[in-house]
Amino acid sequence: MPTPEIDLNHKTEENSPNLSRLQKMKFTIQHYYYSYRTNISGILLGALFGFLMSHAGATTYDYHAKMFLLIDLQLVKVIGTSIVVAIIGISLLKKYKVRAISTGVEVDFVKKKYQEGLITGAFLFGVGWAMTASCPGTVPAMLGEGKVGAIFTLIGLLLGTMAYGVLQTYNAHNKTLERTHHNQD
Amino acid sequence: MEIFVWSGWLAGLAIGLFVVLHFWLIGKPAGCSTGYGNVCGIMSRKLSYYHEGEYKNKYSVKLWFLIGIPLGGFLSSLSSTELWHLSFDMGMYDAILPQSMVAKAIWLVFGGILLGFGARLAGACTTGHALVGGAMLNPTSLFAAAIFFMSAFITTHLLFDI
Repeated sequence: MPTPEIDLNHKTEENSPNLSRLQKMKFTIQHYYYSYRTNISGILLGALFGFLMSHAGATTYDYHAKMFLLIDLQLVKVIGTSIVVAIIGISLLKKYKVRAISTGVEVDFVKKKYQEGLITGAFLFGVGWAMTASCPGTVPAMLGEGKVGAIFTLIGLLLGTMAYGVLQTYNAHNKTLERTHHNQD
Repeated sequence: MEIFVWSGWLAGLAIGLFVVLHFWLIGKPAGCSTGYGNVCGIMSRKLSYYHEGEYKNKYSVKLWFLIGIPLGGFLSSLSSTELWHLSFDMGMYDAILPQSMVAKAIWLVFGGILLGFGARLAGACTTGHALVGGAMLNPTSLFAAAIFFMSAFITTHLLFDI
């Protein structure tokens, strides 16, 4: 008596040559997209973001100075319009309980919470913004445009992020030391 | 290089749609500065802060997002009438920044440090707080964004008026 397993194998062996080359290609692409969907969608969204930042003028040094000196409000228009459009879009996503394409789960509108040092951090960030006329999102786009200055801003960005990590790691280490010390007492 | 810049309204519309598209595709708010934490985690194994909690997955969407941004900048620069080339021209800032290349580079590194450290201390950058946080009408983000703008406003005036 043939086992169903053998039957199944027999079937697939017979069926697979019937798949056209196009179908095979389609399955391969689907397979790769599924395995690498975070990477691919991340890179594509990043490219779109960089393209839009650049065309909005956010990667041009002068627009930052002109906005803060109130000469040309291009970037104010950009950020104002985008927030209004996004508010409408987000309320629609919420209303229809839309599921995210890459995860299949309902979209998570997680909000950043207040954290200690926010005021100091935001103040320092503003000073850095005025000094470099760029922010963490526009620096990579400026690199793509061939702006040499962005290389140095990027080095600084990584150093600053690193410094915060060192501080936090050190603090966490001290806390565990304190705890073990208390336990020994 | 002179980049062709759209009208503010059009670019704002496109970026607003981008924010919604990001939510729809990824299911989470867009952000830029957190990806730099992933880069730091990859660069140093000793930095345990960038290996735990929200940084546990070092190869996150945010990292890939960051890697994609230069591609977009490059594509955008193709629309320019000039050929792609490296340039250290900083427009209006050239008049107020130190004239020597080395001093200009040090200035930018220092500004970058403030951006990187400040963004982590504040929890997010202009994208995470002002753009996406503002669109979600998150009071904390709006508060942080207001400080970003005020502080940059004062600093720019100090730089250009004196």
